[in-house]
Amino acid sequence: MPETAELKRRLDLLSEAIDWPATPELTDRVHARIQAPRPSPRPWFQGRWALAAAIALLALAALLAYTPSRDAIASWLNLHTIITRVGRLPTVTPQPPGPLGKRLGLGDPTTLAQAQSKVTWHILVPASLGQPDEVYLQLPPDGPPEGEVTLVYGSRPGFKTSGETGVAVLITEADGTINAQFFGKMLGNGTTLTEVTVNGHQGYWIAGEPHIFFFLDANGNFRDETLRLATNTLLIDDSGTVIRIEGDLNEAQALAIAASLS
Amino acid sequence: MEGRPTDAELFTRAQRGDQLAYGEIVERYQQVAFRTAYVITGSSADAEDAAQEGFVKAYRALATFRTGAEPRPWLLRIVANEARNRARSAGRRHQLELRLAEDFRPGDAAPSPEAAALAAEDRRRLLALVNQLSVEDRLVIASRYFLELSGDETAAALGIPEGTVKSRLSRALSRLRERAEEGARA
Repeated sequence: MPETAELKRRLDLLSEAIDWPATPELTDRVHARIQAPRPSPRPWFQGRWALAAAIALLALAALLAYTPSRDAIASWLNLHTIITRVGRLPTVTPQPPGPLGKRLGLGDPTTLAQAQSKVTWHILVPASLGQPDEVYLQLPPDGPPEGEVTLVYGSRPGFKTSGETGVAVLITEADGTINAQFFGKMLGNGTTLTEVTVNGHQGYWIAGEPHIFFFLDANGNFRDETLRLATNTLLIDDSGTVIRIEGDLNEAQALAIAASLS
Repeated sequence: MEGRPTDAELFTRAQRGDQLAYGEIVERYQQVAFRTAYVITGSSADAEDAAQEGFVKAYRALATFRTGAEPRPWLLRIVANEARNRARSAGRRHQLELRLAEDFRPGDAAPSPEAAALAAEDRRRLLALVNQLSVEDRLVIASRYFLELSGDETAAALGIPEGTVKSRLSRALSRLRERAEEGARA
């Protein structure tokens, strides 16, 4: 369209005349920052959320009739997630057959547009995987106070189907600005936990042998229907949205998915 | 003669812990990073903080930078995330308003005083129209035309897929054209 071409030409000319604020000299300041040792994270046992986490852990231990070994480690990851490391994982009853949402405790099937209209945060979709095959929404009382959205990718080239979930990739999102819900992860000796950074956001990569995933609702109640085995998982906090990317993935695949979220 | 290292070489060296190489990366990218953050936040102070924090976070995330990938979109995404966080915290406190440089002289052959005055008036009107657009329209136009970002860099800066950049830009240009035509008729 000639008018648009003319407009673009005028914008190009205009760009030369923009009065930008002076660019600050950042090199020395950034250099000083990256040389300085990073502040140590606050020990997990400090703070009220850690206290709540500890209470939740006790409740969980009682519910599972399982006593963590003396070496058990519990960590508060600031991702609304409690990690417990135990010498031996308790046995998890296999998920009964049925619809995916029921089987994995994902909530009700919906569409992206419908889910977006029900939650307050912007639902992130990974450009690398495209539109999800299925979308689930879990609202209170079964889900976190602001709800939880799960994107399901049944199969994608280059991705294996997970033996635990039956799908290639599960991406679950919740509002991390509400300090009222916890997810839990129980790791055995064969599962590794590594700190990662994705686009500047803190995260954790949980890999190796399947671990146990569970959910505590807004009141701190353990939801036993959500207790299940999970495969490799990347946990990140993307500007206030807590995201779990789960599947039979390697770390590079999970990071690539996370990096393409928008 | 030893040439200037490429961005890819600097990133590889920085990934191995060479802080001087990373300093060179900051030097090269600080202007586009700061201006991108400025377009998003509308505040020079917030843009400065966002760019600085973005560079620090990018350094700590260098392990996730894929060898062979384009560094600019990767860096801009991190800086823009920081800028969006600050813009969100600031709410509507800052509104981007781009201005014209008063002493701007076009680089072409010296136009007549009348032509120069007409061109300056055209720039003033067009920028006023851009400033009146919605935030979404203004951001995509400023990213593509004023920051001269590529499609994938704009996508990274705005946190949207590249396909969305194209459709959003097309709609923004249509709206700007309509307003320009209305202005011309008035």
